Amino acid sequence: MTVMDRSEWYDIARDTNWSPSFVREQEMFPPQMTGGFGLAREKWVGYDEPYKTSYPEYVRIQREKDAAAYSVKAALERNKLFETADAGWLSILKQHYGAIALGEYAAMSAEARMARFGLASGMRNMATFGMMDENRHTQLQLYFPHEHCNKDRQFDWAHKAYHTNEWAAIAARHTFDDLFLSRDATSIAVMLTFAFETGFTNMQFLGLAADAAEVGDYTFSSLISSIQTDESRHAQIGGPALQILVESGKKEEAEKLVYIGIARAWRLFSVLTGPAMDYYTPLSHRKQSFKEFMLEWIVGQFERSLIELGLDLPWYWEKMIAEFEYQHHAYHLGVWFWRPTVWWNPAAGMSPDDRDWLEEKYPGWNDTFGKCWDVIIDNVLAGRHEKTLPETLPIVCNMSQLPICAIPGNGWNVKDYPKEFEGRTYHFNSEIDRWIFETDPARYRGHMTIVDRLLAGHIQPPDLSGALKYMNLSPGECGDDAHKFAWAEAYRANPYAKKAA
Amino acid sequence: MSQSAADGYKNNRVGPVLRASDMTEAIVDAAREDNPGKQIRVDDKGAYVRVDTEGELIIRRATLESNLGRPYTMSEFEITLGSFAGRIETTNEFIRFYFNKSI
Repeated sequence: MTVMDRSEWYDIARDTNWSPSFVREQEMFPPQMTGGFGLAREKWVGYDEPYKTSYPEYVRIQREKDAAAYSVKAALERNKLFETADAGWLSILKQHYGAIALGEYAAMSAEARMARFGLASGMRNMATFGMMDENRHTQLQLYFPHEHCNKDRQFDWAHKAYHTNEWAAIAARHTFDDLFLSRDATSIAVMLTFAFETGFTNMQFLGLAADAAEVGDYTFSSLISSIQTDESRHAQIGGPALQILVESGKKEEAEKLVYIGIARAWRLFSVLTGPAMDYYTPLSHRKQSFKEFMLEWIVGQFERSLIELGLDLPWYWEKMIAEFEYQHHAYHLGVWFWRPTVWWNPAAGMSPDDRDWLEEKYPGWNDTFGKCWDVIIDNVLAGRHEKTLPETLPIVCNMSQLPICAIPGNGWNVKDYPKEFEGRTYHFNSEIDRWIFETDPARYRGHMTIVDRLLAGHIQPPDLSGALKYMNLSPGECGDDAHKFAWAEAYRANPYAKKAA
Repeated sequence: MSQSAADGYKNNRVGPVLRASDMTEAIVDAAREDNPGKQIRVDDKGAYVRVDTEGELIIRRATLESNLGRPYTMSEFEITLGSFAGRIETTNEFIRFYFNKSI
């Protein structure tokens, strides 16, 4: 049987636009759900999704992808990764699954909104596949860690994290609620598929896959890069939507959504992917630094695509690139210090060789972040472990829900960017975070950070023990130094001396 | 951050980023055959391989079939395609990466 070329039937097969007679158009596509800045539906007729697939192709290809991912897992199960991998690597797995798996489930819901309320047939069609993609990602990333749950209950957080008020889970939920769960279909296309997926997911799903392969964790490397092949397809939902918005005189409104999307994604990936790449991955297996991956994926590839679509670079672009030098180092220091409050065991990544590498990749690191670690090392070696642990909570940004931080050392420059609104003072990590709030204060005003909740008396007793209880972290789940401070011994006889340049 | 690093977006490189697989060689060879006269850059990162060139890169089904020595449908390309630089065009006969604007 001769099969018609897809291009001969695709346009007509996916055209599900018709004129409703039983309901009004507005009832079928309520503006609150569709978005689109008031553009008439006719404007969306020209929407042409560039990365096409059909249902029979989708089923066949996804089946092959799944078969491959599951067979790599099955083949390597006797590899005893859990017993043999570096503790830092296991922390990456725990952190990844907890932060990502149910976020994918949220993305499925967002894709479903585009599938139903997208203004273009092509968008609805591609989002139907996108919805199934995200379901696949959720299922895979709950199933793969499950084999480790009986050995280490931190792996249980793959499913548990989003159901708790653990601070990183609050930060992830706040971001995803903002970018796609509480947005209309058009904004989801712009913020989730374009800003988040064509850009930042590459960092965690391909960049980190490169480190995983170096470590020898082929199961994880194959899994996450397989997931990214789905993303690569459905991320293309956003491009043609942006093109229509720009051509219809809605460039400024569209850009605002893109800029919020990029800024929020950057914060989340700098706390998630940054420490994983530059500290948790054992030094000998690091393919590139986090900054180098950012320059490859976000500057070289994603930023270029903004220009191609006729968008201007965000007003904060240079500020964000400057943050590549320090933001994730600050987050790492904070996560390690507040380690009882996370569901993984942060690896310090602080051997003398690690520090030489950090200095090489981020010149000046030893004179800034290194000085904080010098104090930590002194305390560890003197047995003053209590001084390496928190007694209070940090000041948290009202946008990112992450600690407000900057560069320590002689040039200590941490600064709050406050904002008064309706009698309440909000605190932000940077002008960028504050700008997001200012774009729509009514949207963000009601949210309480973990610190706001402590001050409001939600956390009892108001100390670390109360905070851990509030975050649903039980003994055996609370994080601790991944290597039980073994790395510090290298400094007992020989204080760190910077390698001669 | 050096100026050259921040200026990294000033490029016109387009092409697929392939997941590590037994398809890489056939695809790289096809990229060379289907884009005569163009310099195809191959950057192997282990888990992924970035294949790119200036402005436009096309890979044809017929070339892949001949390189692989077996029937190949263009939709299979998705299994290998982790990401890509540039815009994309997907048909039954070829896949194309390109920019409309040159900078």
